[in-house]
Amino acid sequence: MAHSTVPRSRAEAATRKATAKGPADRRRAPGRPGKVSLRLRFKRDRTLILMTLPAVLLLLLFNYIPILGNVVAFQDYDPYLSDNGFIAMLQSPWVGFEQFQRIFADSAFWHAVQNTFVLFFLQLVLFFPIPILLALLINSLIRPRVRAVAQAIMYLPHFFSWVLVVTVFQQVFGGAGIIAQTLAQHGHGGFDVMTDPEIFKYLVTLQSVWKDAGWGIIVFLAALSSVPNDLYEAAAMDGANRWRRIWHITLPALRPVIALLLVLRVGDALTVGFEQLLLQRQAVGPDASEVLDTYVWWNGIRNQDFSYAAAAGLVKGVVGLSLVLVANKVAHLMGEQGVYKK
Amino acid sequence: MTPNSVSTPSRRSFLASTAVVTAAVAGGMPLLAACGGGQEGRKEGTTSGKDAAKILPAFAAQSVVTPDLPAKNGSTAGFTKAIAPADLKTSVAKKLGSGGRLTVMAPFWGTPPAGSNPYYQAMNKAIGVEVTWQNQDGVTYDQKLGAVLASSDIPDVVVVPAWNLTGRIPSAINAKFADLGPYLSGDKVKDYPNLAAVPTDAWQRAIFGGQLRAIPMPASNVTNIAPFYRKDLFDKKGYSLPKSPDEFLAWAKEATDAKSKVWACDDMKWSAFNFFGALSGGDKALWWNLEDGKLINRIETDQYLEALEWTRKLYAAHVVHPDAISGKAGGDAGNRFTAGQCLVYNQDLSAWYGKTSEQRTQKNDFEMGAFDIFGPDGGDPTLWAVQPASIFTFVSKKASKQQIKDLLAVANFCAAPFGTTERMLTMYGVEGADYDLKKGLPVKSTQGVNEVNGAFDYTGDPAPFTAYTDLPDITRSIVEWQQRMGAFTKKSSFYGLTITEPTRWANLADDFEQLEDDVVRGRKKISDVQQAVSDWKSKGGDELRDWYKKLLDDNGSAAK
Repeated sequence: MAHSTVPRSRAEAATRKATAKGPADRRRAPGRPGKVSLRLRFKRDRTLILMTLPAVLLLLLFNYIPILGNVVAFQDYDPYLSDNGFIAMLQSPWVGFEQFQRIFADSAFWHAVQNTFVLFFLQLVLFFPIPILLALLINSLIRPRVRAVAQAIMYLPHFFSWVLVVTVFQQVFGGAGIIAQTLAQHGHGGFDVMTDPEIFKYLVTLQSVWKDAGWGIIVFLAALSSVPNDLYEAAAMDGANRWRRIWHITLPALRPVIALLLVLRVGDALTVGFEQLLLQRQAVGPDASEVLDTYVWWNGIRNQDFSYAAAAGLVKGVVGLSLVLVANKVAHLMGEQGVYKK
Repeated sequence: MTPNSVSTPSRRSFLASTAVVTAAVAGGMPLLAACGGGQEGRKEGTTSGKDAAKILPAFAAQSVVTPDLPAKNGSTAGFTKAIAPADLKTSVAKKLGSGGRLTVMAPFWGTPPAGSNPYYQAMNKAIGVEVTWQNQDGVTYDQKLGAVLASSDIPDVVVVPAWNLTGRIPSAINAKFADLGPYLSGDKVKDYPNLAAVPTDAWQRAIFGGQLRAIPMPASNVTNIAPFYRKDLFDKKGYSLPKSPDEFLAWAKEATDAKSKVWACDDMKWSAFNFFGALSGGDKALWWNLEDGKLINRIETDQYLEALEWTRKLYAAHVVHPDAISGKAGGDAGNRFTAGQCLVYNQDLSAWYGKTSEQRTQKNDFEMGAFDIFGPDGGDPTLWAVQPASIFTFVSKKASKQQIKDLLAVANFCAAPFGTTERMLTMYGVEGADYDLKKGLPVKSTQGVNEVNGAFDYTGDPAPFTAYTDLPDITRSIVEWQQRMGAFTKKSSFYGLTITEPTRWANLADDFEQLEDDVVRGRKKISDVQQAVSDWKSKGGDELRDWYKKLLDDNGSAAK
């Protein structure tokens, strides 16, 4: 809910980018003879506006209007006061910042925050570079058939549900899984990666990599395909070896995409996985597995403490927004475009 | 950490904004615990005695077949002999259903069958109501329930097990479900003769927030959790049954052979509570018992801690199947049991028949048993009675009168006693598809095992009975186990009552179950439980104790 203030997808970020260009045009306008009136601009752009309209409507309906529901964070919301949840919202008593005080006094919340950040940094360091490496690898494959097969195999796990992924991991790495069983038969008992709270953070990162790293290469591959072959040929003529070519041509070509994705990723920092962690909550306990999203779910949906959960979600949204602003600023300072420009 | 963690004066004041709560907090007025029926305003406390008598349905006994094993010590009644189809009686003379449609959300343990299977179709046709089932996973039903009840679009009928009445669900029930009193109270129930034969103590449990809101599923008050063992594998290995917790642990170490993928047991927490005599954990009101003039809660007892400590030892000794640690994500305990990967597991008594009939379709020599619950030192156990009804069927307030009557038609049909055609259809489904007659005995097919499982069974039931005529030995074993355990069963102070706690304390004990699981798996210590108990006391547990004490003083105890 609260989270929707942060762009959730490239498409949304692109929409913002497009709208953000408006004022920039206007600033340039005085240089031109005669201002283009709003009406004229509308007339000129109406096809484009018309085309964005469905997306804008969807955004309004599913992202912006639900934001209003955040008022329950300042109430003691009881959805059972009325048959209609919205009317119950009007009838629930106001409590100001009470819920936030409760959250900040709850050690479980801070634990969830800590787990969230630890997982985010691990995923940033261990997960983020992998699709880039895979993209370089695939890009270096010449034969189209080998390439297609490799790509298909890497994409495939993305389409598995988390339930399936966790089950597969359980069957392989669990205490009664293939590895544990093989080890036990050779006299090494007690192998169980799935239920060790200490290594859980690496386990979930590994699961994410296995599931989604292949999917992540699509964007990079697209960027790579736009690098003109002449550059490589010219570099090769000048005696640049393979590494040199990657360093001086490929990576600079990828840089804007990497920066963009990094900024987006930072904006999503507090979203480190949900089903995946919820499914494995029992295996390692909430101390190791609770992140902000599962914390909100547990309190809001399972314990029906809706206001409390809404407040926690709102905190998450605000922190996420400031993170994306900071990351974008850093991208600008580095000379990249980032998600949007003023 | 419980969500109700901060109890500052300001929090109190906003919570006290409704008159009811003000009265309770100020203590100046009686707890409104015994208002008459039909009042919408009252949401907490309980209804018993005279006030309950006004809304409870009249009881009219019914006898079609005399049980081979009469109920004793709170056990179910046992029927071991099948009745020939020609001798079956009819208990629902004419179709009561109007042909209308009902959507029912219910928990389901297992893999739900397709919605249009022959069993559901036959039941719908016989009752005269088009029931559409929304079967949800029973293990995680509480998570689904909270979300569904908070929405403005709830199914016409919702089945709720008592152990899911946590957090604010009880207040949701009082807010969202219809009063069935106008259709069932007193002699009105006689329109539905099978429901009139439902024992009164089960109906007593169906009073939520001062109104008769549910169709109860009557149950034996003997603990429903049995420690099952693989009798076939025990015999093969020559194991004798453990007779005390210590013996169990010693046996478990011997029986575990991880190399061959065999572990002694699955998660035994539920049984441990029974071995050590911890107060029942099923229903929140049963957590309390009056001892020496003071109400104590199960989480404050030594028995509770001892049970956790013993279960922890099992995990620490690696005799528990490793997948059990992962809970739901690790797979199903019952499947590990039938696969022979664990030799002992605890489950509802009905699994005795369920697993045996399921396995016998493939393995003729499959045999399981339940061993008697032993006390902490190997002597007689102290068992606490569970509620005489623990699964409830509610109708949405938005349902029309016709829909309510249609549900009552469904419930009345499903509550037909043993020996009737209605019971036969409910229990065995369609002949040829779900079961076949072998030497006059109905035997379920694989299809029948899948389809005729739960669903209609929860919406209405006669007085507690066990009648698995295709496996008469198991029927006998179940009833006799209940009778032996029933002899050790005591009733705690709030036995038999349905109590709605004030919402400000509703979330107080939410996290204990998680804490228990953390402790037995060795992730937290017993001292963490003690700390949580002392937090619980200071955050409202002691006030809750006073609230319950007042309730007890005003209503008296149903336990004798």
